[in-house]
Amino acid sequence: MATGVLRNAGIKGIACAVPDNIKRSEEYNSTFGADSVQKFINMTGIKKRHVALDRQCTSDLCYVAAKNLLEKLNWEPSSIDALILITQTPDYAVPPSSCVLQHRLGLSEDCITFDVNLGCSAYVYGVWMAATMISTQNLNRVLLLVGDTSNFGINPNDSATAMLFGDGGTATAFERTEGKEIKYVLKTKGSGFKSIIVPAGHARSRGKSNMEASDYALSMNGSEIFTFTITDVPKTIKNFLQQYNISDDNIDKYVFHQANLFILKHLAKKLNIPMEKVAVSIDRYGNTSGESIPLTLVDAYGTKKSSGTARLLLSGFGIGLSWGCIYLDIDTSVFLPMIYTNDYFRGG
Amino acid sequence: MTNKEKLNMLEELLDIEENTLQEDARLDEINQWDSMSVISLIALFDDTFERVITPEEIKEFVTIKDIIDEMDRGDGNWQQES
Repeated sequence: MATGVLRNAGIKGIACAVPDNIKRSEEYNSTFGADSVQKFINMTGIKKRHVALDRQCTSDLCYVAAKNLLEKLNWEPSSIDALILITQTPDYAVPPSSCVLQHRLGLSEDCITFDVNLGCSAYVYGVWMAATMISTQNLNRVLLLVGDTSNFGINPNDSATAMLFGDGGTATAFERTEGKEIKYVLKTKGSGFKSIIVPAGHARSRGKSNMEASDYALSMNGSEIFTFTITDVPKTIKNFLQQYNISDDNIDKYVFHQANLFILKHLAKKLNIPMEKVAVSIDRYGNTSGESIPLTLVDAYGTKKSSGTARLLLSGFGIGLSWGCIYLDIDTSVFLPMIYTNDYFRGG
Repeated sequence: MTNKEKLNMLEELLDIEENTLQEDARLDEINQWDSMSVISLIALFDDTFERVITPEEIKEFVTIKDIIDEMDRGDGNWQQES
């Protein structure tokens, strides 16, 4: 089983930038009908979302988050040993957007830089990757960027996805810290690859002549995904907590991927945990894909004069199908307040 | 659990006035039966009957009675197990 403990890697800061542009669910009354929109709000909990402007890319949001974070930490760009960008909405088909960000952030040529394509599970995988690099290699500082502008490529007439996604970019700074531990479990079930998919636009559709416009938009099978989140996900979380002897008393906050409020409530019920301990941002930010966990953390801890240590159970689950859990403790003063921006890169 | 209780559960799930849903009502003729109610039904089976019903099984349902029959099956299994 892909589970273990990563040692000597700690999180020194987390920042999140979202577009200043807000879309309210009620704005869709004329498209889908007021009753349907209300039903959607009741189930998903989504009242509004921050949606990127046409010229605003994931890399722009991650850039703002990373720039602010490096300034707050007073870290020299040249001190970053690795930059990981996890996104499903890169700037270009090629090259990797992480390379553009390495340049924009002024990082060193000696910085390991690469993109990873993951969605809802991006953050738990990203924490594992960043901490592994520090724990097992001679690296001191790793910058993990996770973001998406999921509204790019959405069919505006598909009521399942048109009102669902919020956009955002996050930056998490890892540094070698003796004595710190991060526990993880990561899983994959590729047989469910069609559950959330954009079928067209890449090599698999190259030889197909019958592609329609809707094939270039995100298609989501809500009931398959829901079944996955009430079977595999709680089972993994339960086994993980049991394996490492982590009881509810050892967890201050459960931070799950913000899929929709119905799923969050159902998951809490299945795990027998009170909703008060489950962080929720989906009502104001929508389903924010891979960045939903760090965004929700910033939403929970970034606005307060937080201090002290929080023991967190993080779990991301979805597209792939891919999922996992992280258990760590974090000094809550490391969070920057939420950043709102309409900035975008003019040199791309 | 009586059939009436099961019907009432489905009325609540579909946001339909209490005691108006008929067992022979066809799902494709119920306006409120949509992709979100499919998810709610999966959750209801999971919560109440402690078992997972798949989207494929739900696709086979034609009428409300088909759902109730499935509940009866679940109900029985659940009682036997407990």
